[in-house]
Amino acid sequence: MTALLAVARYEFRMQARKRSLWIAAVLLGGTLVVLQGDRGPRSLPVGTPAREVMATWALLFSILMPLAYGMLLADRLVRDRRLRVEPLLESLPVGPVARLGGKYLGGVAACGLPGLAALLVAAVTELPKRHDPALLGWALVAFAVVTLPGIAMVAGFALVCPTFLSVPLFRVLFVGYWFWGNMLAPAFLPSLTGTVLTPIGDYAATWLLGSGQTALFAGTPGLLPFLRPDPSGASAALSVAVIVLCGLIPMTAAALAAHRATRQTWPAKA
Amino acid sequence: MHIEIADLRRRFGRVTALDGVDLTVSGGMFGLLGTNGAGKTTLMRILAGVLPATSGRVVVGGNDLSTRGGRVAVQRRLGYLPQELGLYPDLTPTEFLDYVGLLKGLDDRAARRGQVGDLLDLVGLSDVAGRKLKGFSGGMRRRVGIAQALLGDPTLLIVDEPTVGLDPEERIRFRTLLSSLAGARTVLLSTHIVEDVAQTCRQTAVLAAGRVLFTGQVTDLTARAEGVTWEIVTAGSPPTDGVVVSAIARTDGTHYRVVSPRPPSPDAIPVSPSLEEGYVALMRSATPLPVG
Ligand SMILES: Nc1ncnc2c1ncn2[C@@H]1O[C@H](COP(=O)(O)OP(=O)(O)O)[C@@H](O)[C@H]1O
Ligand SMILES: [Mg+2]
Repeated sequence: MTALLAVARYEFRMQARKRSLWIAAVLLGGTLVVLQGDRGPRSLPVGTPAREVMATWALLFSILMPLAYGMLLADRLVRDRRLRVEPLLESLPVGPVARLGGKYLGGVAACGLPGLAALLVAAVTELPKRHDPALLGWALVAFAVVTLPGIAMVAGFALVCPTFLSVPLFRVLFVGYWFWGNMLAPAFLPSLTGTVLTPIGDYAATWLLGSGQTALFAGTPGLLPFLRPDPSGASAALSVAVIVLCGLIPMTAAALAAHRATRQTWPAKA
Repeated sequence: MHIEIADLRRRFGRVTALDGVDLTVSGGMFGLLGTNGAGKTTLMRILAGVLPATSGRVVVGGNDLSTRGGRVAVQRRLGYLPQELGLYPDLTPTEFLDYVGLLKGLDDRAARRGQVGDLLDLVGLSDVAGRKLKGFSGGMRRRVGIAQALLGDPTLLIVDEPTVGLDPEERIRFRTLLSSLAGARTVLLSTHIVEDVAQTCRQTAVLAAGRVLFTGQVTDLTARAEGVTWEIVTAGSPPTDGVVVSAIARTDGTHYRVVSPRPPSPDAIPVSPSLEEGYVALMRSATPLPVG
């Protein structure tokens, strides 16, 4: 347990210190703030419930910011080998599961930092206009249900996939996936858009918006209809759970493989 | 910590890195000599529990390394400096050591901090303890490496070619530090530089092509060249018989030291050998040079 937390703490520290994380987050988040147009949160009329305002902000940020997280987390696992720290880490009395788990938790926490900061900044800038302190509370809720599960899923794949793909290939595939699986209208091409599996947080944002609005495509008919329940509190909770579990699939596979590798034995005689 | 190795083999595909190694190491400083590719790193990685063997028995301090339990038990008392240790460039030496300390199970924060500070002192890095590791020179990185190996006061210290790439002064300082640490510990040092072993170890083994050619006292290895080491002073061409170990030009001609079973010339004088000459004699007897 202490080993897991130690890895999480130092992975968090190293990742959160990366200037590229903050630059990418500001660029991608800022682009959306500028380009949000009249469908964005800034155009919501005064008097719109705080919950709806922050849901709209969370959705806006989750359109592009996770691209930065995926890109930056992609080298976290492979870099131990690249930096040649791996032999030392392997010689320490710490199991690979604690190391993997720590990387995951630290990476999620580090990427959550700009995600949370973006929402808090948005809430604070909305305060003078909307005079509603509940904006800050809803910023936290929106972060927890819209932003964080997406980061958790992206982190699982971004850590593990580059160990068998390459880092650049993963990054290319990830960008392709992000637009195809989250934003491409399901009527256009078969895609995962609008299912409970969208890390962009479509269902959770739809639930936060309330009043029968759909955030993006949640529940729109398309491929795999059983993954497209009607939007509701329950389906939002289901979506959050499914998104987080999805990210744990590659982590579990990697942990099992690493665990097996460390159990290897050999005979005394050839 | 007592190390007992029997018939240890390790293959990498077609390459046999260790080909039936038998070796016993008891306390103190032990030098593992061998040319590049001899199998030193492979042996040390197996001892550190980071690489499985293909077959063979390795028992370290009573723990059988072929089992996960045995490996972890050894790792709890191990300090390991891998041949090419990388450091996280975005951490400071203090942070890096703190991290390794945590992973070694030094849970008490104050005690860990104290140890990190002491070790940084010991390796002379206190002044730069708060600087990012990014800009550190090879020698400084190696010193961080030895400091992390010493965290938790290990009883077994495995250091793989720690002096490569250091300038002469730094190399001497480094190996002196290592031998000062050997007191109550077992220190296993690998190197391809005979002088490192000559200056620090009483026990040594020579590895070549994955086999142990020699194991025993350093003085016994030196003795291998007894009676086959010669000095010749000549202004003419260098001796063709045997292996020329050194050649120093002086006013009376060039002084050659040669390892050769027969006198390389009629006026060759037998001299008492150095460890390096013992090593050369051993290597030569193991792999006869082609005649002609
Ligand atoms: N991971 C590996 N994959 C393939 N061959 C290896 C690997 N590690 C070592 N070898 C081979 O095993 C032999 C011994 O290497 P090594 O143990 O590194 O020797 P040394 O440390 O004495 O220079 C060499 O021929 C080397 O090429
Ligand atoms: Mg080596």
